[in-house]
Amino acid sequence: MRRIVGIDLGTTNSLVAYFDPQTGAAKCIPGPYGETLCPSVVSLDPDGSIIVGEPARRRLLTQPERTIYSVKRLMGRGPADVQNELRLFPFRIDSASQNVIRVKLGSKLFTPPEISAFILRELKNWAEAYFAEPVDRAVVTVPAYFNDAQRQATKDAGRIAGLEVLRLVNEPTAAALAYGLHEKRRGKVAVYDLGGGTFDISILKLVSTSEGDIYQVLSTNGDTHLGGDDIDNLLQALFHEKILQQHQVDFSPRAELAQELRTALIRVKHELSEKDAAALRFPLPNGAMFVHEFTRGALEALICPIVDRTMGPVKQALADAQLKPGDLDEVVLVGGATRTPLVRRTVQEYFNRPPHTELNPDEVVALGAAVQADILERGVKNMLLLDVTPLSLGIETYGGAVAKIIPRNSTIPASAQELYTTGVDNQTGIDIHVLQGEREMARDCRSLARFTLKVPPAPAGLPRIEVKFLIDANGILQVSARDVRSSEQHSLEVQPSYGLSDSEVERMLEESIEYAEQDFAERQLTEARTEAEAILSATAKALSAEQVAGLALEEKRRIDAAVATLKEAAAGDDYKLIRSRIDALNQATTHLAEVVMNFASRRY
Amino acid sequence: MSATRTASMSPLICWSCRERALGPHFCSNCGKIQQLPRDVDYFAFFGLPRKLWIEGAELEKKFLQLSWQLHPDNFVHATEREKDLSLERSSQLNDAYRTLREPVSRVEYLLAIEGARKEGEQKQQAPPELLEEVFGLNESLDELREAKAGGGDLSALKTRLEAAENNFQEKLAEVDEQLQGIAREWDAALDNNVENVARNKLMARMNDLLNRRSYIRNLVRNVAAELTG
Repeated sequence: MRRIVGIDLGTTNSLVAYFDPQTGAAKCIPGPYGETLCPSVVSLDPDGSIIVGEPARRRLLTQPERTIYSVKRLMGRGPADVQNELRLFPFRIDSASQNVIRVKLGSKLFTPPEISAFILRELKNWAEAYFAEPVDRAVVTVPAYFNDAQRQATKDAGRIAGLEVLRLVNEPTAAALAYGLHEKRRGKVAVYDLGGGTFDISILKLVSTSEGDIYQVLSTNGDTHLGGDDIDNLLQALFHEKILQQHQVDFSPRAELAQELRTALIRVKHELSEKDAAALRFPLPNGAMFVHEFTRGALEALICPIVDRTMGPVKQALADAQLKPGDLDEVVLVGGATRTPLVRRTVQEYFNRPPHTELNPDEVVALGAAVQADILERGVKNMLLLDVTPLSLGIETYGGAVAKIIPRNSTIPASAQELYTTGVDNQTGIDIHVLQGEREMARDCRSLARFTLKVPPAPAGLPRIEVKFLIDANGILQVSARDVRSSEQHSLEVQPSYGLSDSEVERMLEESIEYAEQDFAERQLTEARTEAEAILSATAKALSAEQVAGLALEEKRRIDAAVATLKEAAAGDDYKLIRSRIDALNQATTHLAEVVMNFASRRY
Repeated sequence: MSATRTASMSPLICWSCRERALGPHFCSNCGKIQQLPRDVDYFAFFGLPRKLWIEGAELEKKFLQLSWQLHPDNFVHATEREKDLSLERSSQLNDAYRTLREPVSRVEYLLAIEGARKEGEQKQQAPPELLEEVFGLNESLDELREAKAGGGDLSALKTRLEAAENNFQEKLAEVDEQLQGIAREWDAALDNNVENVARNKLMARMNDLLNRRSYIRNLVRNVAAELTG
């Protein structure tokens, strides 16, 4: 059985981890540079290849129009949803986007799941290199407050990357699993997860039973558009303005400069988590140096409103769990943004207890995903996770109102049945509109899907069709219908309001394999060229050695010819040709190599 | 269906080994997860009689035990059929627990499966004895909306509404207490095997209380929304 890995597909960084049964611990897998964090940045090279992670992050400065970050913000959303983001993020969205956004990288268009798939494929490569075997199954984490469309988009991304996503796990729940494994905990735990782009709060109850430990989520809440990114956006906007006023330099038309300033500001922000003061020094294109001295206090005054925005969801989650802040036994901090001293202080004051920060807040979610992967791999042995759906599921009724059929914070899987019949004779269809959200009116909730239940012509009220809405363990909705009279399954075609169809995902999977092959070919070419250079220079060196002066003319001509054809091949981009000519040169120089070796051994 | 019937899951033929499966959730012969017979209600799912007093800790214990066995995490390597059954069964388990855990939804569910749940003919109509108070409340709400729109002084109105909200909250608590009282009568009636007519009367009373409760709850919700909005 092949290994199942755990993946944290983050807004800013992504990680892949696995569970080592020998040590009983989860571990993050390092990439080619030894780093476990893979920046969630994707860049389309002018030659058509895809670059992911740290090299792509560096291209944010040099090729911003071909490079994208924070794509998680676009997952499962329609063009109308993201207008606010566009003011703050340099997303170049195709104006012809329909229900699924398409983002431009260079001149090509990609959907958010495709871009996320590039990141997943990179992590898959890391894991395959690490284990030296194929990896094709994963547990992937999502923000607890992700809706159905955002979850489905994440699952699609996995499929496009060639990964079977066995389970989507909520990020705070994954963190709780990692902490639970790290040190046995009991009682009620709050997980406060402030990441790059999303905020989640989950309240869990950890119970020991004779079978093992149960991690039962009591309630969850959050904001899928609140995170460290918002702090960066705030700082960036503020300093654009300052620089414009003091130096009359306008950054808005200069994507490169804007990105450089953002990077510099993020560095200062990080410094201020460690120190009380730090300085921003930023060289301007007019030769001047922009200098700003920061204190931690000044930064905190700026970001206080953002940190305060997390407290609404915290209070709601506690109310839903019917608990007060003092009822909690433990508080856990997750996500890079919780390194901010103001966040720690705010949480500590509210819950009146020091929060846990023992595990690396960047890695803990991936580690938890690896624990869940192990549970799935070996079956439920001593740990069980019971999670909830973050948003109420409803159907539209008369006058655009919403009837809630599965309330938020219901343990998943959860289901609800609705019985439908016709209102007029020979009515052939019943329209059903499924929504997610807490508001009373359909227009204020998130539309998940619309479909028409087909009914054979009959007198009004005679057809009786039961529609079953089921939220699975991933938090994803499944709809099925049954004819009550005949007990037969009723066929149903549900088109999601914001999402890819199966055939689109299939096509993207094929395209992504092409990209993967292209990437593979490119790597092969680079390696072949490097090897060609090495053998060419070794040959040249051998030929110039004094002891080969007596080399037969015939042999010398053969070697020269092989050298010439290899040089010719190395200038092209057919790696197979280069390889075969390397072999030819190797053969032509076998005798030469022997002579040189013998000479060398005689000499020393 | 008789209300006195305590839960015993009807025996069925196991889909896998074709033997008579006697276990409630798994085949007693081959151990495979079983499809739930359609006549099994949420009470029967937990092996409980249709009584309204349920010990919370006991129900939770049963819920957690069944979660271990039925959760889809247990069936990752199983056949598609078993995966589907696990998804169906674990969702039923969670639905059943969610419904029976809260006393009010428990009563609502009992009446529904006994065919005795009838929502008010006109949901929006106030119970007669509350008419006067509801009338006063609606007036205050209108005044508040006008004052909000016109920028008038809100504090006096808000105080009045808050008092009204508290008053209706108390009424809600009263209804809940009355419901509890009838629930005890219902359980006693089951124990004593009283005749259908008496049981139906109890259910009709519970139904009235549920309608009254839902009316007052909507009222409280509207006031709260207007006060915070």
